[in-house]
Amino acid sequence: MTSRIRNLFASLFRKQMVERELDRELQSYVAMVSDEKIAAGAAQPEARRQALAEFGGIEQVKQAVRDRRAGTRFEVIAHDVLYGVRQLRRNPGFTAAVILTLALAIGANTAIFSIVNALLLTRLPYQNPDRIGTIFWRIQGARPFEGANDIDGEQWELLRDNVSSVLGAVASSISSGVNLEAGRSVQYVHAGRVSAHYFDVLGIHPALGRSFTATEDRPHGPSVVILSDALWRTIFHADPHLIGQAIALKGEPYTVVGVLPAGARTPLNADLYTALEPSRQGEGSGANYAVILRLRDGVSWRQADAEINRVWTDRALRFAKEFRPGAKISFYTVPLQKGQTAELRPKALTLMLAAGFILLIACANLAGLTVVRMARRAAEIAMRLALGASRWRIQRQLWIENLLLACVGGAVGVGVGFVALRGLLSLLPPDYLPVSGVPLDERVLAFTLVASVLTSVLFGMLPALALGRIDLRSFLASRTVAGAERLRLRQALIAGEVALTVVLLASSGLLIRTLIHLQTLPPGFNPQGVMTAKASLDDARYRDPAAFDRLIRESTAAMERIPGVESAAVGLSLPYERALNDGMTLASGPMKGQQVMSGAAYVSPSYFATLQIPVLAGRAFTASDRRGAAQPVAIVNLSFVRKYFAGQNPIDRPLDTQDTLGTVIIGVVADVAVPPHTEQINDPLGSEPMTYIPAAQADPHFLAVIHVWFQPSWIVRTTRPVEGLTAQMQRALAGVDPGLPFSGFYSMTDHLAQTLATQRVEVALLGAMAGLALLLSAVGIFALVAHMVAQRTREIGIRIALGSTLRQAMVHVAAPGLRSSAAGLLCGLLLCLGALRALRSALYGVGIYDVPSLVGVVLLLVLITLLAAVIPTLRVAKTDPAATLREE
Amino acid sequence: MSSKQTNLLQGTLDLLILKALGTGELHGLGISRRIDQITRGTFIVKPGSLFPALHRMEEAGWLRSLWGDSENNRRAKFYHLTNAGRAQLDVETKEWQTIASAMAHALKATT
Repeated sequence: MTSRIRNLFASLFRKQMVERELDRELQSYVAMVSDEKIAAGAAQPEARRQALAEFGGIEQVKQAVRDRRAGTRFEVIAHDVLYGVRQLRRNPGFTAAVILTLALAIGANTAIFSIVNALLLTRLPYQNPDRIGTIFWRIQGARPFEGANDIDGEQWELLRDNVSSVLGAVASSISSGVNLEAGRSVQYVHAGRVSAHYFDVLGIHPALGRSFTATEDRPHGPSVVILSDALWRTIFHADPHLIGQAIALKGEPYTVVGVLPAGARTPLNADLYTALEPSRQGEGSGANYAVILRLRDGVSWRQADAEINRVWTDRALRFAKEFRPGAKISFYTVPLQKGQTAELRPKALTLMLAAGFILLIACANLAGLTVVRMARRAAEIAMRLALGASRWRIQRQLWIENLLLACVGGAVGVGVGFVALRGLLSLLPPDYLPVSGVPLDERVLAFTLVASVLTSVLFGMLPALALGRIDLRSFLASRTVAGAERLRLRQALIAGEVALTVVLLASSGLLIRTLIHLQTLPPGFNPQGVMTAKASLDDARYRDPAAFDRLIRESTAAMERIPGVESAAVGLSLPYERALNDGMTLASGPMKGQQVMSGAAYVSPSYFATLQIPVLAGRAFTASDRRGAAQPVAIVNLSFVRKYFAGQNPIDRPLDTQDTLGTVIIGVVADVAVPPHTEQINDPLGSEPMTYIPAAQADPHFLAVIHVWFQPSWIVRTTRPVEGLTAQMQRALAGVDPGLPFSGFYSMTDHLAQTLATQRVEVALLGAMAGLALLLSAVGIFALVAHMVAQRTREIGIRIALGSTLRQAMVHVAAPGLRSSAAGLLCGLLLCLGALRALRSALYGVGIYDVPSLVGVVLLLVLITLLAAVIPTLRVAKTDPAATLREE
Repeated sequence: MSSKQTNLLQGTLDLLILKALGTGELHGLGISRRIDQITRGTFIVKPGSLFPALHRMEEAGWLRSLWGDSENNRRAKFYHLTNAGRAQLDVETKEWQTIASAMAHALKATT
């Protein structure tokens, strides 16, 4: 062993000495043999010649000895690496093309994988995250469903009081904004409402003070608040004596009982937390609580599932009987991470698949490039084979060059991925991803490394296999390697990448069509010239309907006085916005007595006029439609009439038997595009039944509940662009209530963009991938044709000299590229037959086999193919037949 | 050439080199000539096999080499056995004898 190590060092560091010694040893052998020959009577030069001939090639023997020697492997690899670097530097065009291709493909993969990693692989930032879960439900029957399940007050009480295997907690499933008095100003902050033990389930211990107690979590319990570290520092200047003091929140005093530690994250990610005070009444009468669980020690999730199903059996049976006759309902726990990412998971995985396509396309291109390069290097390789290098040694040399390229390409790819990821994240709406950040962590880097190496193996394999077939003698004689075969291989590679490109193009085409469909849906109102602003009325001062009514009347009147403002209104929700979903029992019409769901909103009298929503029958609200008027009134939309009145005239008919006021329908308005609030439709935008009531008629109890969930919008319509409109709106509001801030200003385009955020992101991402794929394919075709042109210059010269026209010659060289692209297009369209089905759930208003988008794909591909094939053939035009014929 | 045969030959070559050096130090050509002599011309070891084997065996610690002068006053590298080499010679000789007698017996039995 020691002698082996010594030799290793000897050969590594005294390489030259060892080499010299070996040379001397072999020379002395030859000298001694020729001495013998001379002694036997041969002449001196003849003796040496014979001795050398018998020896059988000094260089070969040296190589055989070197191959045996320890340390030689390191040496050879170091040598190969240096040689490889030199080779790559000698071909800057090839090297740049490979590195650029790799960087783009690896960059795209790195960016997408970072998101998959952050969403699905990184552990949640809580203590023992594998013991935190949430509850999904499974409905088996006519309309099967499986997924997240918000629970109602009854389920919560059963879970809290009767399930011993888990510690449970609930939070309001609708997040809200509240007004916080900070010094002399009032700020709009994000509030989470959570039950007792919420922070215990997450394993978060307040840095100051404590969590909510069970008493504080009871209905009408004391008003208490827990602050996030960030809020405590920015607004309360990290005051350590804040615990036990009252702060003015939602217009009343709340006692601070705790401050969370710095960096603590909850699924709600709010600025402050108030006690949820869950019950079976009010919001607890519907499924409005999101539940989280921590598994207690020594219990399995399976036991927890059994216990939860047992205590909820009665509730599930009642639900099934009422809403899903014949359905079987069961519940099961899932890890919180899965629960939070259930909707994003398939999207992220689809994108990962698309990114994988990009990598394959890049591989095909690179393999094509390397095949050509191999052909150019055939002379060098044949020479090395002839000089005694083993095939293995040459293979290794090629692999080392590929790995060098992979490493550089991967490193540049990480940079590209980082930039792409930042761009991607800036594209996403805030809080779109339920994670605090998307880091390029060691897992992402490991992925990139594996992807780079895998790519190099894939694209390096084909040429390396081709090497096995180089026949030395025929090569040295003819100086070509199986040309036709190599061309077919490249054509197959290009057809393959074009096929994948077609699938990506067709997919993004469908998503673009979906987005166009959604964005051009008739909105049902006039979105031009409308500005809106939101404010939180979850405020003690506005539980009094008279104060609420005064605020709305006076603030809209003040806004209408702004020069250039045509009209102003207030509404609980807006078109493009999810509306409150309300259950009612129809009091008239063909479906009288049936329980139905409808969107519901209160609006000020000028709401329909301001948004220009047409009143189709009856009348709009007036200032005299208010509490205490002789006849309470409501307006419904066309969908409501079609769905629940079978199209009959509903004017002057009573609306809801649960409503003790005896409200009647006085008008029908047109539908506006809204996101679904009932579960019947999945489209991100569509028409849904809506009922509107006058804001002035709203019940104080109703106001108190809905203002916890919804921030109403102030809406102004301007006749012309108004300078400083938002500031003037804020001043108009402050004139009525100086302590009420607007939380933000949005045009209707902003609302539409927000609602369609998912679709926009999907289009942007898949579109970018498809574009990248198209670019790579074009490069592949370009390289193929360019190579054909370069290789066949002489042949073209002869053809032209023999009377072929320039056009015929150009077609002749471009043909292989065109043919392989056409074959790829056909294969791609066949692939689409199966692959596009996967997109079904993301498509709206467009079929899977959408003719316009497929035609678009074909045309785009034909155009790009022609460009990529024709540009390199232009060089043919410059070919001078005489000059090419004179060559060689 | 199948790998089995190579191994057998390689083993044989090692044993022959060890044996040739058993009587004292020799240079490359000397080893070659000595093998020729002790196998009565059955094995002629070419430099292409000899030198890789010598270097490999030196690395394995069985041989050691020193530069010296040959009988014709040529500078040459002389190899001699180390203790490990001597032990290896014993082991390989025993192994070979076992194989040889087994083979001889087997061939006799089949006739």
